Amino acid sequence: MYAGRCYGYFYRLTGDRDLSDELLSELFIKLVEKFGSYKGGAFESWLFKIASNIFHDHLRGKQRRRKLLDTHRTQVEREPDLNESRCSDEGQERLDRLQVHLGRLDADTRDLILLRFYSEMSFKEIAEHRSEPIGTALSKLHRGLKKLRELMED
Amino acid sequence: MKDPARENLAKLLRQFMDDSAACSAEADVNVAERILETHPAPLPSPEMVSTIKALMIASAARRHRRIRIFRVAAAAAATVVLTVLIGRYNAPPATNRPGVSFASIIPAAVWDSDDLAADDLDLAYFTSQIRQIEAQMRAVEAEETETRCTDSVGELELELIAIETEFGKGW
Repeated sequence: MYAGRCYGYFYRLTGDRDLSDELLSELFIKLVEKFGSYKGGAFESWLFKIASNIFHDHLRGKQRRRKLLDTHRTQVEREPDLNESRCSDEGQERLDRLQVHLGRLDADTRDLILLRFYSEMSFKEIAEHRSEPIGTALSKLHRGLKKLRELMED
Repeated sequence: MKDPARENLAKLLRQFMDDSAACSAEADVNVAERILETHPAPLPSPEMVSTIKALMIASAARRHRRIRIFRVAAAAAATVVLTVLIGRYNAPPATNRPGVSFASIIPAAVWDSDDLAADDLDLAYFTSQIRQIEAQMRAVEAEETETRCTDSVGELELELIAIETEFGKGW
C-alpha cells in the first residue's frame, strides 16, 4: 500500500525506475531504523517526511544530481518521439507526457506538488516540513499546478 | 487521491486571496490534481517489493542484535564497576595491608655485612624498589579520594623516610 505511493513519489521526482527502486529500499530500511522515533500521529506524514529527506539527501550527492539532470534532459529531448508514437500506446504516452512536463517545473515546485499529491499531508504539515510559511507553500503549489495544467493541455 | 486537507482548501486559499482569485486558484488546483490522478505512476515490481521486505527483515534483525549486544556490554560494564566499588569499600584499612612495611625487603645480611661495594649495589636496588612502590602508592593516592587511603599513603611515606634515614645512619 505505502510502497506504491512512495514509489510513485520517487518515480515522479526522478523519472528513473532503477533510482526509484534504490530510494524505496533506502526508505524502508530507514523506516525500520527510525521506527523507535515515531511518536504517533499520522503515519503517512512521518513516512513521507523521511521519503522527502531521503530524496533531498540523494540530490545533495553531486554525481547523482548530475545523473538526474541528464535523465531529465534526455526526457525533454525525447518528447517529439513520444508525440510521434502517440497512436501506438496512448496510455504509456500520456504517462510519459506527465513525466516530461513535471520535469519542466523547477525542482522545488515539483517536490511540493508531488509531496502534496502522494503524501496527503495537510498544507500546514507541508509548510512545517519545508520550513516555509503556509502562504508561500500554497502560492508555489498553485503556480506549479497551473503551469502543469497548461503544459498538459497544450 | 483522498486528501483530508482538501475540504479546507477553499477556506485556506481565501485567507491569502480575495474570493474570485481563491475560486480560480481552487479550480486550477483541482484540475491539475485530477491530471495527476489520471496519470498514475508505475508500481514497484513484485520482485522489488519482496527484496525490500527481505531487506527490512534483515535490518530489523541487525538492529535487535545491536540492541542485545549493547545491553550485554552495559550489564558487563555495570558488573565491573560494582565489583570495583564493592572491593574498594570492603578493603581492609591501609595500615593492616601486608607488604606496607618496607623493612622486610631489606635482608639482615646487608646490615651485618662489612663489604661496602656489594652493599652499595644492594642498597641501590632496594632504594629503586622503594621508589617504585612509592610511585605506585602515589598513583593509588591520586585515584582514591577517601581519607583513610590518603592517611595510609602518608604513613607509608613517613616509613620510607625513616627507612632511608636508617640506611644513612648505617653508613
